[in-house]
Amino acid sequence: MEKNRNTRERLLDGWGRWTAENWGKTIIIGLAITVLLSLGVVMLRVNMTFFSVMPEESEDVKNLKYITEEFPYASAITVVIDGRGIKNTGEAEAAVKGTVDALTEEFGGEEYAKWVSNVTGKMDLDFFRDHGLMLTEAKDIRRFADLYRDLNIVPFFTALNDDFEREYAGNEENLADDEETAVAQFRGLDRLFGLLTEAAASSATSTSAAEGGTGAESGAEGVSPDRIEAAVDDFLLGQPYFLSRDNRMALLMVEPTFTVNDIGLLMEGVNTIEARAGEIAAEFGVEAGLTGLTTVARDEMVTSEQGLVASGLIAIVLILLLMVFSFRMFSSPLISGVPLLVGIYWTVGLTGLTIQRMNIMTAMYMVALVGLGIDYGIHLLTSFVQERDDGAEFVEAVGASFRKSGSGIITGAVTTAIAFFALQVSETALMRELGMVAGLGILSELAAMFLLVPALLGFREHRKVKKGKTEARIFKKIYVRNDLAGGFGNWVMKMPMGVAIAAILLGILLTSGAGRVEVQQNLMEMEAKGLTSIELQDTLVEEFDLAPDGLYVFSDSLEDVKKLEDQLDELDSVKRVESIAPFMVSASEEGPRRRELESFRASLSGTTAAPEVDGELLLEELYRLEMNLVELGDLAFLGGMEKISHTLNKVTGRDDQGQKVSATALDGLIELLEEDPARAAGLVNFQADLVSVLEGRLQRMSSTDRIDLEDLPGMFRDAYVSSDGSEFLMMIVPTQNPWEPDFRDIFTTQVESVTDRATGMVLASSVLNDMAETDSTRAGITALIAIFILLLIDFRNLKLVVLTMLPLLFAFGALFGVMGYAGIKVDFINIIAFPLLIGIGVDDAVHISHRYRLEGQGGIARAVAKTGTAVLLTSITTIIAFGSFIPSPMRAMRSTGIVLPVAIGFAFLFSILLHPAMLQITAEKLKLNIQSWKRRKL
Amino acid sequence: MKNIGHFFLAGALAVLIATTAAGTAAAQSSNQSAGRSAEDIIKRADEAFTGSQVYSESTLTIHRSDRTLPVQEMESYGMEIGGDYHSLSIYRAPARMKGTAYLMIEDDLWVRFSSTGRIRKLSSSAKKNAAGGSDFSYADMGEGDQGIGEKYTASLAGEEEVDGSLCFVVELKPKPGRDAPYEKVLAYVQTEKYRYLKVEYFDAGANIKTMYLSDYRTVDGRDYPYIVEMRSNTKDSRTVVETAKIEFDSNRVNRRLFSTTYLESIR
Repeated sequence: MEKNRNTRERLLDGWGRWTAENWGKTIIIGLAITVLLSLGVVMLRVNMTFFSVMPEESEDVKNLKYITEEFPYASAITVVIDGRGIKNTGEAEAAVKGTVDALTEEFGGEEYAKWVSNVTGKMDLDFFRDHGLMLTEAKDIRRFADLYRDLNIVPFFTALNDDFEREYAGNEENLADDEETAVAQFRGLDRLFGLLTEAAASSATSTSAAEGGTGAESGAEGVSPDRIEAAVDDFLLGQPYFLSRDNRMALLMVEPTFTVNDIGLLMEGVNTIEARAGEIAAEFGVEAGLTGLTTVARDEMVTSEQGLVASGLIAIVLILLLMVFSFRMFSSPLISGVPLLVGIYWTVGLTGLTIQRMNIMTAMYMVALVGLGIDYGIHLLTSFVQERDDGAEFVEAVGASFRKSGSGIITGAVTTAIAFFALQVSETALMRELGMVAGLGILSELAAMFLLVPALLGFREHRKVKKGKTEARIFKKIYVRNDLAGGFGNWVMKMPMGVAIAAILLGILLTSGAGRVEVQQNLMEMEAKGLTSIELQDTLVEEFDLAPDGLYVFSDSLEDVKKLEDQLDELDSVKRVESIAPFMVSASEEGPRRRELESFRASLSGTTAAPEVDGELLLEELYRLEMNLVELGDLAFLGGMEKISHTLNKVTGRDDQGQKVSATALDGLIELLEEDPARAAGLVNFQADLVSVLEGRLQRMSSTDRIDLEDLPGMFRDAYVSSDGSEFLMMIVPTQNPWEPDFRDIFTTQVESVTDRATGMVLASSVLNDMAETDSTRAGITALIAIFILLLIDFRNLKLVVLTMLPLLFAFGALFGVMGYAGIKVDFINIIAFPLLIGIGVDDAVHISHRYRLEGQGGIARAVAKTGTAVLLTSITTIIAFGSFIPSPMRAMRSTGIVLPVAIGFAFLFSILLHPAMLQITAEKLKLNIQSWKRRKL
Repeated sequence: MKNIGHFFLAGALAVLIATTAAGTAAAQSSNQSAGRSAEDIIKRADEAFTGSQVYSESTLTIHRSDRTLPVQEMESYGMEIGGDYHSLSIYRAPARMKGTAYLMIEDDLWVRFSSTGRIRKLSSSAKKNAAGGSDFSYADMGEGDQGIGEKYTASLAGEEEVDGSLCFVVELKPKPGRDAPYEKVLAYVQTEKYRYLKVEYFDAGANIKTMYLSDYRTVDGRDYPYIVEMRSNTKDSRTVVETAKIEFDSNRVNRRLFSTTYLESIR
C-alpha cells in the first residue's frame, strides 16, 4: 500500500509539475476536450417540466403519455377570459363573448398554423340541432313529446307547467345534475317572455293605432321570426359559449400543434398565444389568462430556468467572492472559476453524449456542481498556498500540492462519483439520470481542476514573472490562514467525551422529529407561487365547475366506455364523467329511441297554429309559471345552487331574500294581459311564427339518423377519440381538488373500485413519489455499501471506516428530524438531497480521517487544524451552491435549496464535532488500532 | 326541463333531516354491564333515535368551501300515529323561506311554499336523496324511527378513543336483501353511555362522509345530541344541525298538525 501510495504520489507530483510548466499545451488539451464534448452539448435536449420526469416504467405514466400524444384535447391550452372587472353583468357577458369570437378568429388564422391546430370558443350547436333527441333516453323523449304535444302558446305553457310540477314530484331516475342546462332553459324562457311582451305590446299599439285610423294590421310589425328562432334555440339548446356561473367569464380552447414533450414549440407557441390573447382581451376591456397541462408545463420550464439561472449566478458569484476572500488572491476566481465552468460544460457535453437529455433534477445538479467542483480547486489551492507559505518555489509548490492533496481529492471524488453511479440501480429514469450526470459531473470537475488549475497557476506565474514581480510580493498576496480550526481541534482533544456525548445527544434530539416527515403529494405545491396557470385552475373549479386534474381511462370499446361511465358516475367523489359515450347511441338504445322519435315526429307533423290565443287561459298559465319559477328559485337559493338561483331571481325579479325588487319581462306580459286579456289576440301572428319555428327545430332535433363518429363536432372527437380513431377516452372529473391528499385517496380508491385502468397526473405523480422514495432508499443503501467498500479498500481498517461513516448517519437523522419539525415535505425534487448527502457528506470525515492517520498519535488537533479550514470552506461552497436555490420562484427548488444546505451543514457539523472526538476516544483513550491492516501501530 | 325536479326534492330533505334529528331522539341513561354484542350495542345506541311526540327548534347551517349558506331555522314536530311516523317542519328563517313547511307521513312528502302559498306532493324517492345543499341524507339519521343500524348487520371491530371517550367500534354491513345506502358504516359508540359519537360512511371502498354527534344533554331523562355535524369527505362541505330547544311528549304535538289542511294554514 505504501509503495502504491508513493507511486500515486509521484505520478501526481509529476502531473502537477508538467501541467504548471507546460501550461500552454495543457490549456490546448483542455480546449480540445471542450470542442470534442461540444458535440454532446449539441445533442442535448433540455426538458424541465415535471411531466418529463414521470417514470416511464409505470403503466400509469405510459398511459398518460399516450393520452397526451394521441388525444389532441389533452394538450389543449385553456384561455380563461375574465370580465369580472366590468361591473355590469350584461356588459361583461357581451365583452367576454366578443373576446371569444375575436380570439377564435385570430387563432384560426394562417399565421398561427405553426402552433394552433384548432380553436373552439363555442359549442357546435348544429350537432345538437340535428341529433339532440336521438341522444336522449327513450323515457325522456316521451316526456319531451308530452311537453311539445301542442306548440300553440297556451297549450305549450300548460304542458311546461305540468312538466315542472310533475318533476317536483320527481321520478328520481329522470333527474340529472346539470345546472348548466337548467340555467340555459330559464334564460331562453325569459327571452321568450320578452318577445311575447313585445308582441303583445306592439299589437296593443297597432290596435289603438288602427282604431285611430292608421290602418296597420294587428301584430303585423311584431317580433321577427329570426328573433323567435334565437329565443327558441336558447330554450332548447342553451348557450353555445362556455360561460362561468355569473356569465362574466368565458373559456376558449386552443388545440396546439405540439405537446408538452415538444419543448421548442411549447415555449414559443404558448408565449405567442398568451401575448396575443392578452392584447385582444385588453381591446375588449377584459383579461385573458392561460392554463392547462401545456401551459403549466411552459411555466415549469420558465420558472425552473429562471430559478436555475438566478441560482447559478448567485452560486458562482458568492463562491468566487469566497475564494477571493479566503485566498486573498484576486486571480483565484479565474484560476478556480475557469476550470469550474469548463467542468460543468464537459458534464453537459457528456450528458448529451450519454443520455441526450437534461431534466429539472439534472439541471439543478449543474448548479450544485458549482459548489462541488470548486472544492477540488480549494483543496489544490489551499495546499499550493501552504507550500508557498513554507517557501517552496512555484513548480515545486504545484507538484507538492498535487502530491499531498491530490490523493485525498481523488479518493473523495471517486468515492462521491461511485456513490452517484450507484444510482444506476434505481428503478426510475429520473434517479438513474441523476446518478449518471452527478457521477460524470464529479469526474469532469476533477479532470478540469487537475488539468486547468495548475495550468492557470502556471499562466499566472508566467505573467507575474514577465511583469517582473518578485516572489516576495507574490507570497504576500496569496496568504491564507490554514490553521483556522486549530483551536477547535485542541478543544476537541481536551474533552472528547463531552464533545462526543453532546454531538450524539444533538443527533438523537434532532432525529426524534424524523417520524414527522411527510411526502409531498401535491404537485401544485411544488410549482412557483402566484403562477397564473396554477391560480386559474382554482378559477376553473370555482367559476366553471371544472377540475383541472381528473383521471383518464381509455378503451377501444365504446360499450366498455359506456359501462364504465355509468359505474363511475355513481361514485361520490366523481362530479361527472366525460366521454363520447353519451353521443354514440348503441344498437340496443337506438331501436326504442327511434320508435319514440318516429311517433314524436308524426305528432309534430299534425301541429298547426291555432287562429286565436285565449287571454284568460294564458294569464292563468303565466301565473302558474311564475309560481313554479319562484318556488324553484326558493329551493335553488336554499340549496346554494347559485347559478340557478341567480338566473331565476332575474327571471322573477327577486332578490336573494325573495323580495320582489324589479319588473321582469314576465311581469310586463302579465300586466298587459291583466289590463286587457283580449290583447292575447294580438299574439296570433307570434303564435304562428312560434309554432313554425318550434316545429322546424323539433323536427330537426328528432332526426332518426344514425350518429357516426364523423358526425360528432370536432371538439368532441379531439377530446375523446384518439388520432387514429382506435381508442376512446373517458375523463373522470372529481368533486374536489384531487391534489389534496385526503381527497385524492378517496377519489382514487373509489375509481379503482370500478377500474384499475385509470391514469392521470395525480396517479403518475404518486407513482413518481413512490418510486423516488424506493429508489432513493435503494440507491442510498447501494451508495453506502459502495462507499463502505471503497473506504475499506482505502483505509484498510473496519473501525476507521465505521467511524468515518458515523457522521453521515447522524447527518441523515438530523436532516430528517429538522424536516419533520419544520414541516418540510420530501418531494421528488428535494429527494436529490439524500444521494447527494451520501456522496458528499462523507468527504469531510474522510479528509479528517486521512489527516489524522498522517499526523499520528496525539495529532487530532493538528488534523482538525490542517483539514478544518478546507473542510469548512468546501462545506460553505456546497451550502452556497445548494442554498442558491432558495430565491428560486419554483417552490420545489426552494425546498431543495433549504434541504440540501441543512444536510451538508449537518454533515460538516458532525464531521467536525463528533468525528474527531470519536477518533480521539477510539484511538487514544481506548487505544484501538485504526491503522491499515498492514500497519498495526499508529 | 328534466333537471329541475331534484332541486325541490333536495330542499325538502334538508328539512327532513332536521326533523328527524330533532324529532326522533330519545335515550335511556342506565348503563348496562360491559361485554355486549355488537348488535346489542347498536340497538342500545339506536334507542336514542326512537320516540314520538317530539317538538324541537333547531338550525341547519351549511358550510361550503369558504362560505356559509343562509342559516335555516325551523320548528319540527314528530309523532307516531297508527304505526306510521309523522313529522312536520316549518321554516322560520331565512326570510325567503319563512313559513315554508314540509310534511312527511312515512314515505309521503308534501311541501308548502310560503312564497306562493302552494302545496306540492313530492316523490317518495326524495327520502333516499341527499338533503339539498346539505351533507345529510335521510338515511344518515335513521329512517323515521328505525335507527342507524336497522338495515345493517353489526360486528364489533374493536375499541377506540374519540375525543377522549372510549368507544366501541361497530362495523355495520348491509343485511342481505336490504336496500342499504352504504356498503359499510363504522359507528363509534361510547362504551360508558352508549352514545353515538361518530359515524363513518363508506362507499366504493372509501370513507365518503363522517357524522359527529356531540353536546349530549339530558332532557326529560333522555340523552340527546344537541349538535350533529356531517362532514363530507368528497366535497368541501359540512352541515351542522344544532338543536336550540327540544321537548319530549310535548303537548305542542298533536294529530291535527299532520295534514295538508294544516299545511295550508301555516303562515
